Amino acid sequence: MASSILEKIALRAGVTAIAALLIGCATPPPADDPEAQAEFDQINDPLEPANRVIFSVNEGIDDYFLRPVAVGYRAVVPSFGRDRISDFLDNLKSPVYLVNDLLQGNFTMAGSTVGRFALNSSFGVLGIMDVAEPMGLPGHSADFGETLGVWGIGEGPYLVLPLFGPSNPRDTVGMVADSYTDPLDYYLQTGGRHWAYWTRLGLTAISQREAYLDSLDDVKRTSLDYYSTLRSLYRQRREALIGNARNPQQSGAPGAMSALPAAVLTDDTQQ
Amino acid sequence: MISRSMFLRSVFAFLVALTLGTADGHAQTDENARKFIGALAQRAISTVADHQLTQIDRDEQFRKLFVSSFDIPEIGRFVLARYWRVATPDQQQEFLSLFEDITVLTWAKRFQDYNGESLETLSATKDGDRNWSVDSHILRNQGPPIPVQWRLKEGDNGSFRIVDIIVEGVSMAITYRSDYASAMQTNGGKIDGLLSIMRTKLDQLKAAG
Repeated sequence: MASSILEKIALRAGVTAIAALLIGCATPPPADDPEAQAEFDQINDPLEPANRVIFSVNEGIDDYFLRPVAVGYRAVVPSFGRDRISDFLDNLKSPVYLVNDLLQGNFTMAGSTVGRFALNSSFGVLGIMDVAEPMGLPGHSADFGETLGVWGIGEGPYLVLPLFGPSNPRDTVGMVADSYTDPLDYYLQTGGRHWAYWTRLGLTAISQREAYLDSLDDVKRTSLDYYSTLRSLYRQRREALIGNARNPQQSGAPGAMSALPAAVLTDDTQQ
Repeated sequence: MISRSMFLRSVFAFLVALTLGTADGHAQTDENARKFIGALAQRAISTVADHQLTQIDRDEQFRKLFVSSFDIPEIGRFVLARYWRVATPDQQQEFLSLFEDITVLTWAKRFQDYNGESLETLSATKDGDRNWSVDSHILRNQGPPIPVQWRLKEGDNGSFRIVDIIVEGVSMAITYRSDYASAMQTNGGKIDGLLSIMRTKLDQLKAAG
């Protein structure tokens, strides 16, 4: 029985993280400077030197592979087609959203997830059309990192994961846990269906990277330090998502797959 | 010809208005705060959508609008945080000037990609003595509305200035602060190091148009 590919990736990430630990930690400020100490705590990135190394490797992969592929994807597939693909992929994640809606105690959201899945899988032709949104059931996502946050578990120090990018221990655990609650993952990893598993993973990566093309280009172009700007965006965004999940009625449903603020970045990025 | 009594009456009315306006320092209302943001969005959109204007004129109008609506010195002090106090007046001056140019160019470029979005203001609440926050949504042609919260501060002259924009829970001011603190750190915590990175960034932004 093939072990989960995500497991392998997680294992490799763990090994890299340990290797990174050996590279060293950020130097804490001198004890007699409380303001500097407060800033250090607030940034919450004691592994910064190691994180920056992984970040620059990820950047290399992005510059030479992922981003060009996403640019090509945008050039070749028209917006309508890209929307169908991202709707389809999003619909496949419904079981994961449902599990987390329930674990977060958001029964309204859970109902919405079930309704969306039923409508989009049938009338929306296996999820390629999001027919539920115009019917008053807008998309939302939920993941286990967020669930842990709702349960009151802290983020831990900021981490940059190989390939996956910005994260933290809580969200890393969440990502691995979510891979276990995805029934399609199990199905696709048995009986010679690995090609489908990899296709889904690859399409998801390309589709999400395309969605962030303009946003990330903008952040990179305008920031003084891309690394720390992404760190700040990631941490604030995750905190906001957890806040929304705690008080779902107070906020608009967070955009599906949205990890960056879509409009710091006023562009026509499709979610 | 204006009669003397009419003149006196108008002077009196003016003084009353002045007194009422500043008596408790809370001349502004929630509704005014909401309207300020609504009107600003209208002006910004009509500027970027005005195809009669040349690019240079449009940039100039955008800059004027931006500089008059945002409290750039206040945001700049927040961004520089503890380094503000150790900076010399000259450094502070140059920082604010570079910061203004960088933020104007950043947002001007974002508005160039304007694609028919509109802003719907929802409600305004007072938070603090002279501070308001206005909730709004950016409505797009496609996709769910994006929640945007505006933080306003009432100046001494009673007019509003924006001190922060919070998009989907992400604060512009906090993000800038984190970015600028890091840029400073990588330059040994020296203001002059930061200023030189800012100059380079500004040149890049100008070159990119």
